Amino acid sequence: MINAVLVFNNSGQPRLTKFYTQLDTAVQQRLISEIFTLVSNRPNSSCNFLPLPPLLAASSTTTSTPNTDAPSLVTYRHYATLYFILISTSTESPLALLDFIQVFVEALDRLFENVCELDLIFNFETLHAALGEMIVGGVVIETALDKVVKGVREQGRVAKRPVNEGLNLGARGLGGLGRAR
Amino acid sequence: MSWASFNVLEVMSSQKYPQKKVGYLAAIQSFRPDTEVLMLAENLLKKDLTSPTPIIIALPLTAIPHVINSSMANSLLSDLLPRLTHSQPAIRKKTIVTLYRLALVYPETLRPAWPKIKERLLDDDEDSSVTAAIVNVVCELSWRRPQDFLPLAPRLFDLLVQRENNWMAIKIIKLFATLTPLEPRLIKKLLPPLTTIIKTTPAMSLLYECINGIIQGGILEGAGGTTEGEEIARLCVGKLRSMLVVEGDPNLKYVALLAFDKIVKSHSHLVALHQDVILDCIDDADISIRMRALDLVVGMVNSDNLTTIVGKLMRQLRHAPIASAVDNPANDRSTANGVEPLADSEDEDPEEPLGPAETKYDQTPPLPEDYRIGVIRRILEMCSWETYVNITDFEWYIDVLVQLVRVCPALKATGKVGEDHIYSGGPLSSQSDISHEIGDELRNVAVRVKSVRAEAINAAQNLILLDRREQMFPAAGNGGQGVLEYSAWLVGEFSSYLNNPHGVLTSLVHPSTAQLPSNVLTIYVQAVPKVFVSLTGGQQYSWTRERKTSVSLLLARIVHFLEPLAVHPSLEVQERAVEFLDLMKLVSEAVSGQEPATTEDDYADPPLLLTQAIPSLFTGQELNPVAIGAQRKVPLPDDLDFDAPINENLHSLLQQAEHDIPAGADEDDMYYFYNQPPSAYVQPQTAADRLGSAPIEVTSYQQADEGYLDPDILAKRKAEKRERNRDDPFYIGTDHRSGTSTPIHNIIKNTNEELDVDSIPIMNLDLEGSDRALETRARTDTAKRKPRRHFEIMTDENIGSDDPISSRDSSRSDLVRPSQAKGKRSVLVVDSSGLGSLSLEDDRNSGKLDVELREAEAKALKEVERLRLEMQRASERILAKDVPEEGILVKRKKKKKPREVEVSESVEPGEVPVVKKKKKKPKESEGSTAADGETEVKPKKKNKKVREVGLEEGEAVGGS
Repeated sequence: MINAVLVFNNSGQPRLTKFYTQLDTAVQQRLISEIFTLVSNRPNSSCNFLPLPPLLAASSTTTSTPNTDAPSLVTYRHYATLYFILISTSTESPLALLDFIQVFVEALDRLFENVCELDLIFNFETLHAALGEMIVGGVVIETALDKVVKGVREQGRVAKRPVNEGLNLGARGLGGLGRAR
Repeated sequence: MSWASFNVLEVMSSQKYPQKKVGYLAAIQSFRPDTEVLMLAENLLKKDLTSPTPIIIALPLTAIPHVINSSMANSLLSDLLPRLTHSQPAIRKKTIVTLYRLALVYPETLRPAWPKIKERLLDDDEDSSVTAAIVNVVCELSWRRPQDFLPLAPRLFDLLVQRENNWMAIKIIKLFATLTPLEPRLIKKLLPPLTTIIKTTPAMSLLYECINGIIQGGILEGAGGTTEGEEIARLCVGKLRSMLVVEGDPNLKYVALLAFDKIVKSHSHLVALHQDVILDCIDDADISIRMRALDLVVGMVNSDNLTTIVGKLMRQLRHAPIASAVDNPANDRSTANGVEPLADSEDEDPEEPLGPAETKYDQTPPLPEDYRIGVIRRILEMCSWETYVNITDFEWYIDVLVQLVRVCPALKATGKVGEDHIYSGGPLSSQSDISHEIGDELRNVAVRVKSVRAEAINAAQNLILLDRREQMFPAAGNGGQGVLEYSAWLVGEFSSYLNNPHGVLTSLVHPSTAQLPSNVLTIYVQAVPKVFVSLTGGQQYSWTRERKTSVSLLLARIVHFLEPLAVHPSLEVQERAVEFLDLMKLVSEAVSGQEPATTEDDYADPPLLLTQAIPSLFTGQELNPVAIGAQRKVPLPDDLDFDAPINENLHSLLQQAEHDIPAGADEDDMYYFYNQPPSAYVQPQTAADRLGSAPIEVTSYQQADEGYLDPDILAKRKAEKRERNRDDPFYIGTDHRSGTSTPIHNIIKNTNEELDVDSIPIMNLDLEGSDRALETRARTDTAKRKPRRHFEIMTDENIGSDDPISSRDSSRSDLVRPSQAKGKRSVLVVDSSGLGSLSLEDDRNSGKLDVELREAEAKALKEVERLRLEMQRASERILAKDVPEEGILVKRKKKKKPREVEVSESVEPGEVPVVKKKKKKPKESEGSTAADGETEVKPKKKNKKVREVGLEEGEAVGGS
């Protein structure tokens, strides 16, 4: 199952934190900063799998059994200013998780039309709603783009970017979406 | 955010959907299962679950997994179950997952829910995304109790063959990987569809999962021997290789290595075919890939490729800059962004669309410290595997160890507890230091392999010598210090091998030594007298004036060194320092008392204390490696009686000791202790035959590029070799004849010009000196001769080596496992262990009744408790004597009780509440005996009895 979904920007400021187990805020912050340290150090050519951050690695030393409840996989993807991170156990497929992030971002892009970090800052509810359509309680429930978008739209109008802030509104093409590296 | 909990609840209960939505979002982010207001939220959740509007139902469905606790799980279940048949698939799939989370906190809830979930799964007309959600949930559930899910196999197989959804196919394959070990017939069935998928699918993730499933499900083993099995094995490995080489996608590389890692244990020959590409991955720019490759090579190492692999790793360690954790992220980020680093996000253009990130600079990142430690640990692990079966050249290994000390990362201030370090008796914090492990290896080699002991001691000596400190240890930081402990032990124990004992002693008693950590210092203090003895203890020389002077000078220095340590804060250091201080003072008395020989030719005896007594403290039985479990197997002597006092009048002795402290009394004890003949049953045992046939001749290790060793180590090697072979005519021939396999090759390659000049003339000189006849003889001789030395490696000493306990693994697991198992649970873990004990097979029919039964039991328990309290109160009020009638009553109750327990057990074997009930009953009867004989009490008791019977009947009905 998926243990946590994190989104933070290039300076490590969290934009979305969703933990499917209860954690103290302090531990959450430590985990985020540890992952950020790991992730920000990586050149773009490297793969999208992170070694376990110290906080998680400390206790999961027993790798003898193929399946455990312990998180064993940290997957990330980097889009422009944002990092999307999934922490999951071994029951998830690593490559499928990468596709999952891609679907998530594509769904956001469709909801916001050329999504950028500001959209997520001002409309974090929509961000949560989109995630809620895809994962419930750590289990993936939907991976079809159309259904996710439909599910979020049913919950109400998706607010557009505040006009004053939108300096570059529409200035960039849909190229932003393209396949992540 | 607990202060706002109540307000959140208020917003949650709002009538307006947008507000409600925000409230639920706040609850998801801030509530925990132990938040107090949750009790109030329970009714709200129930109400929203039954709302007619689908989007409102969805809110509690997503919120429940985040806040659920076991008491809520029970009461919410009845509201959740009907949602499984909701008209909207979106609600159905969310309900399924929510039910799964309910089961995690309260496994019993799965019993009524499972039949309905299964019904959904088996329904062909079900919405595909609901089916996918169920498959996901089943995948999560299955690895705990795979046998319960075997009946689903046909349906899952159909879904797999239909292949309408790759995501689902991936999960189904994962699911089958856990099922196949239980049902071997599945393998035959699965092979054709999996093969087609591997051959046809365009989706990499599905392809990889197929291969992974085949590996993990044991299909390779299961189909082994058949042609199909062979074919699929070759197909899988071939695809994995192409993932490594052809695609050039780092992600695929990573997962392919993961898969290789799983195969390597069972099909090492298949993996060995692809050694070339795997070894390339060790040098990959990406640390994650390197790590995986590293894990993999540890599994595939053998005596042929050991030097190559270790060489690659050593080169990495040597050439990569030492990364310090502090400055790295900042540096890297600034280069990555190309703009002002660490800017506030507002300046950082958050409007940039979420396109692919622009290419950062591609440069080998400096190695992080934990990676370095990992590499060093892997090297040690590979080399020492199975007591060094893979090592063909121990001198090379010693050089590697010395080089490793040099690349040790600096010691962290906060040492985290690393692996259990069995030999190290030091404090916990020192165990994480990798240099301890290096030192341990050095000691192991020195003790086990006698033929290279001299080289090992030489290495230890170089590590100890202060004037070589700069060279031997990392330039920055205090890394590698841990190796001192072991080096000091080695120079002490094998002091006869030292070629510079004076220098070693000087370094040992140097004032800077006192700054070392206490565990190192302990060993230093112990090593000092040993080295001193080897310097001065010789009997063959006359006791001249010069000798007397030099000995007393040394003694004075040692005493000067030990004196401040007698008040060292560490007790261990203090004790040893005090012991040896007194000993040394005795020696110096003896030395000053002994008259030296007056003339050159005279022979005067050195003091006996110096030549006999003190050396005998440290000689005697040779120290051999002892197996870990050996101590346990030492048979207890029959006459051993721990209760018998060793000395009858100990008490009076102690009292006496308080009056007068005898000086130097401990010397006798120590003498006795060290010279006690060792117990006869420890048989030294060598393993020469173990090596006998195993390793094939290596094609001259010298030809391998040894660029990973520092020039000075190389130079030292060459010099030693030259020194050793100077008088050996055969070696001259060898050098001359096969030029490429000699040091010349390396020396020329070496950048160090000085070396070049230095070494070649010597070669030439030797060649000129040797005559033709000698040379030809040498030629014929070396042809027969193997260049490789044969090493004898001592194995662990043990008693009855056939005993399984003696094997290293089992004894280690004995020692290590408990601590690991106890280790704190990782953060983020969702504990599903409760599901492990829950069987879905048993009473699928009685599932629904089960919950009711439970409620009834809870009610009954409450009732019993209430009555018990009432009676207790009554008994406190009335103190009366026993009445015969009462006894009969109690008896009748006792007769009833067993029957009742039986009934409930047949309903629900091993349920906790029933057990509780059993416990409660005796108390109740106690209460009744205490509250005896009053008319006031009696009616109540009868009343209760009737009620109990009623309950029993209820239960019996519920159970049947």
